[in-house]
Amino acid sequence: MTIDYALSVEGVHKSFGRNEVLKGIDLSASRGEVISVLGSSGSGKSTLLRCINLLDIPDRGIIRVGGEQVQMKTLRHGSVPADMRQVERIRSKLAMVFQQFNLWSHMTILENVMEAPVHVLKRDRGEVRKMAIHYLDKVGIGDKLHVYPIHLSGGQQQRAAIARALCMEPEVILFDEPTSALDPELVGEVLQVMRDLALEGRTMIVVTHELGFAREVSSRVIFLEKGLIMEDGTPEDVFERPVTDRFRNFVAAMM
Amino acid sequence: MDFSIIQESWPIYFDGLVTTVWLTVAALVIGLLLAVPLAVVRVQGGALAQAPIRAFVYFFRGTPLLIQMFLIYYGLGQFQWMQQSVLWSLFSEAWFCALLAFALNTCAYSVEIIRGAIVATSPGEIEAARACGMSRMLMLWRIILPSAFRRALPAYSNEMIFMLHGTALASTVTIVDITGAARIIQSRYYSPWEAFLTAALLYMCLTFTIVFFVRRLEKHWQGHLLPARVSDFE
Repeated sequence: MTIDYALSVEGVHKSFGRNEVLKGIDLSASRGEVISVLGSSGSGKSTLLRCINLLDIPDRGIIRVGGEQVQMKTLRHGSVPADMRQVERIRSKLAMVFQQFNLWSHMTILENVMEAPVHVLKRDRGEVRKMAIHYLDKVGIGDKLHVYPIHLSGGQQQRAAIARALCMEPEVILFDEPTSALDPELVGEVLQVMRDLALEGRTMIVVTHELGFAREVSSRVIFLEKGLIMEDGTPEDVFERPVTDRFRNFVAAMM
Repeated sequence: MDFSIIQESWPIYFDGLVTTVWLTVAALVIGLLLAVPLAVVRVQGGALAQAPIRAFVYFFRGTPLLIQMFLIYYGLGQFQWMQQSVLWSLFSEAWFCALLAFALNTCAYSVEIIRGAIVATSPGEIEAARACGMSRMLMLWRIILPSAFRRALPAYSNEMIFMLHGTALASTVTIVDITGAARIIQSRYYSPWEAFLTAALLYMCLTFTIVFFVRRLEKHWQGHLLPARVSDFE
């Protein structure tokens, strides 16, 4: 039986030099699922996210997005994507929100949000403009359309980055520690936006240190440790009845 | 001091001004158009593709502009094969040799300016471009170059001014630019002070014109990139 997953990875391995960061990860996300990926630093959680959209190329493993499998070819030193066009197409279905926002500094907020839909997806500029304004309104910065990123607070920049991701109308949104670079008082506004997206039924994979968000918003929690998935279940299961002591210690250390 | 001679000889200066302007503009345009692809290859190309560009930049930055112009204008004429080549009609012209030397010279400097600006692109912004599925060409065209040009502008405005002043050397190969005009007036009236002061003022006007337009471009391109606080200091 095949389930129509928005995203699935099987047996993903990734090493940097001698350091094996991912030691065989299996993970599938159904449509509408919000998966929080927890783990201490160095556990491989960011690398997992980056392997999913091939910013880092996994050494081994299968990645499928919306039923399409990334074609890899094996070379002596590992595998590489067989077709960069396919990789680009897949990436355009997986929007990513970065820890450091990574807005394009020479473009206004509106231009940032419109850029990829117009030039990568080649959609009509007028349509995209309407969509972009809609999403910027939605994340609460509809009054900042013509402002450059540097003139926004971190929280506003991250919300703009989320609007940029939304405007691609992606299958899955990948969040790489979206609140870790924010001042504490700005974390709430970004989490609120993410919470709204989760309620809308968007498929999200969120690498985070926000235990509260993981517990209350996500439909599933994954705990990564030394490149392996140690916990995988509903927030309730994982937080109330963790399988491993490692997770208990991790939570205790975060409190 | 007698500036009536300048009034009398104004047409010569005007012709000189026109020559200086077109030599500068043509050299800058040709140099920049060549420099952009060369800078991209210099950053992203393989070692083999980079080598000739490195050599080119090294030569043109490592030798005086005057020597480069003399090599092209006087030096090449020494060879039989050059004189028999179809290009001789161009290479026997002083204006062509001067323009070629200027364009290649400014190109070499521009390659380094643009290369530096490309290298300084924020890795995060490149990552964001890759992550949304941009191809390398699209990323170059939409993200890397536009942001590099903005960063390169202050250094490049210096290069434009250097090139403007560098064209004064054209007067040494019979071209009547502003400096050439001043030399004619000087020898005609034996009044070097008035002749060269007039030339200096004309160069200053041209320099300020460049500065004025760069300022406007900076306001348009860069003002918004700076935090509001920086402009408060001005």
